[in-house]
Amino acid sequence: MNSIADLGGMDGLGPINPEKGEPVFHAEWERRTMGLTLLAIMQGHFNVDQIRHAIERMDPVEYLGSEYYSHWLHGTEELLIQNGVVTRAELEAKRAVLAGES
Amino acid sequence: MSDLVRKEMIEPILSTGASSRADADVAARFKAGDAVIARNLNPHGHTRLPRYVRGRRGTVERDHGVFVFPDTLVAGAGTKPQHVYSVRFSARELWGPDSPEKDALYIDMFDDYLDPA
Repeated sequence: MNSIADLGGMDGLGPINPEKGEPVFHAEWERRTMGLTLLAIMQGHFNVDQIRHAIERMDPVEYLGSEYYSHWLHGTEELLIQNGVVTRAELEAKRAVLAGES
Repeated sequence: MSDLVRKEMIEPILSTGASSRADADVAARFKAGDAVIARNLNPHGHTRLPRYVRGRRGTVERDHGVFVFPDTLVAGAGTKPQHVYSVRFSARELWGPDSPEKDALYIDMFDDYLDPA
């Protein structure tokens, strides 16, 4: 698809500015996201090309405004939902519990 | 679907990057030095052919060998192993006559993304 992820040649995004001394993971949730995605792929829930395509299908504003590992998490969630491993309602219910909302 | 994932399986995957190279004897349509044109494909599904190179003329720099094809893999339509080439596009071809004459972009492209020029 001609997605938001295909940014080559676009102006206005500014120079690539690598973070000096960047840690492998900025936060624990990034580490867990990588582990979750890798595990899901190794267990055959989806392949790496499918998660790339799931990321391509993100809302463009959300894609541009979120972190790298947020993209991985989005892709993994969407594919696990699509494959019937978990439902969106189950994920939202658990999120609400963990956030202390219910 | 495999059952157990063991800890010792992780490090090799992370250090090698889980290659998508395929062990398949597939004929190459192109070789180094060939003039090619990137196809103007605009699929609804997944592709690794970026918009800025479609319809542009380049030269095959190198044949990387045979790899599984993401476009069909995502659609559940098989691995369709094929050659991947490093293709050189001049900056002027991509970005216009004001670009520096000596600049070029090398992009890895699947056999199915190319036509002979």
